[in-house]
Amino acid sequence: MERGYRIRSKPNYETLMWREKASAQVVVAKGAGGLAVLQLFQQMYPTQPVTVFYVRGNGSDTDHSATLARVVGDAIKLFDSETDALYAFYRSLPDFRMGTRFYVSGTESFMWSLCKLAKLFDIQESEIMMELSNSLARPVYCVHCKGTTPDVTTNIATCSKCSRKLFVRDHFSRHLGAYMGLMVDAENPGEVPEIEEIYP
Amino acid sequence: MSTLNVRVAAIEQVTPLVKHFTLMREDGQHFPTFSGGSHVVVAMDINGRTHRNAYSLMGSPDDTEAYHISVRRQEHSRGGSVFMHDNVVEGSQLQITMPVNLFSLSKMGRKHILIAGGIGITPFMSQLHDIQRNGYNYELHYAFRSLEHGAFSDQLKARCGNHAHIYVDRLGQKLDLRELLGSQPLGTHVYVCGPSSMVTAVLETARELGWPENHIHSEQFTAPPMGDAFTVQLAKSKTEITVPNDITLLEALETAGVNPDSLCRGGACGRCELDVLELDGEIFHHDHYLSDAEKASNRKIMPCVSRARCTHMLLDI
Ligand code: FES
Repeated sequence: MERGYRIRSKPNYETLMWREKASAQVVVAKGAGGLAVLQLFQQMYPTQPVTVFYVRGNGSDTDHSATLARVVGDAIKLFDSETDALYAFYRSLPDFRMGTRFYVSGTESFMWSLCKLAKLFDIQESEIMMELSNSLARPVYCVHCKGTTPDVTTNIATCSKCSRKLFVRDHFSRHLGAYMGLMVDAENPGEVPEIEEIYP
Repeated sequence: MSTLNVRVAAIEQVTPLVKHFTLMREDGQHFPTFSGGSHVVVAMDINGRTHRNAYSLMGSPDDTEAYHISVRRQEHSRGGSVFMHDNVVEGSQLQITMPVNLFSLSKMGRKHILIAGGIGITPFMSQLHDIQRNGYNYELHYAFRSLEHGAFSDQLKARCGNHAHIYVDRLGQKLDLRELLGSQPLGTHVYVCGPSSMVTAVLETARELGWPENHIHSEQFTAPPMGDAFTVQLAKSKTEITVPNDITLLEALETAGVNPDSLCRGGACGRCELDVLELDGEIFHHDHYLSDAEKASNRKIMPCVSRARCTHMLLDI
């Protein structure tokens, strides 16, 4: 990585904090992102109506569902898969009123998938508070087949749709919610540099 | 600033205080099309001084044959509206700028709430064309003092049917902002134009309820307040000008041949911002653009609405 060179398109994330001016609070988190939610509830249990959508961690992703269920109480909805949680979130959007504030924590893939759904309801990503959970894994957009591969931890990824070997760039598209991936062996097929984990 | 020479083709007295002017181009050409919410700036020659007031275009954006504006007579202001009422007749010639839109509808919006107070209805008249043409979901909330002041209310009821909600102050009809803004679906945008008390109430209520800033839109054509005359020095043009009590600093600069940028002429868009290099008195900030900290620093001024009391103010222009 070049020193002193900053990639402007790379999003910065923050630490979740309740926005006090709100009519309702909606929190969505996955796996290790549950810790950010616990921290939110440590600040306070908000006075506004609150809903928490949580995807249980599995495998290497920490699961906070038991603690969260205790802290959050009835306001929590638990899911085993990311797709189910995002679908439930999307289905509930028509029920929320203007003034609802949104918070999300998880991997970048998860957070930006949520942003894409929210945008269909004209909720811009600037209105969603995002905290990255303890993984730097990246969503990678294949510029060749236009498929997105979630949670990539290596410098070179295999596209989940077309199986090309993609070099993971730092250039991030907010519109697509992903980093750009370019075929690495286009010129010399089969010549793939060493694959290393750099986004643990 | 590119301007168009226009002729007043018709004048209609809409309410005791509001006149509607139909403008046609002097050269017989068509006007450019515009988008709903646009305004033009009308230049008026009053006793040898040029006054410029911004007025919303009210007609259909597709109608390029004529532009329509409405002017409320503001008795206690600096003459622009009084001039339009008393001195402009059918056949009069005026100069206008090309339309500028600082109050356009958000195309991403899933619902649009339009809130108008009194003459603040004018930008919505053209926006409604856009809304109805695109089939947007909307509500219009129009409040005014008493029945005789409800310019266009019959026309709007006919055009908007049950999308229109009318509130007549004298009849004790009040718009409940908390109720209205507290019950809107996600993706709603609110637009307000009217007296400053109404604009402030809408902005504050929406923010209090947690509406994000980019869903709240406002426009205000407050007549720039008058004040005492004051003198300013211009660093780049190396001159001194005096701003009389009844014209704005911006107009005084323009009269002197110095032309800072400007768009809204109402202290909202930020385009006319000037740096204040030196000051020995105080600035009366009347804009809605600078932050409180910037205002307090006295290092910037919006010449379209703000004035000063000083013997020395050096502007970076
Ligand atoms: S012209 Fe818009 S703030 Fe002065």
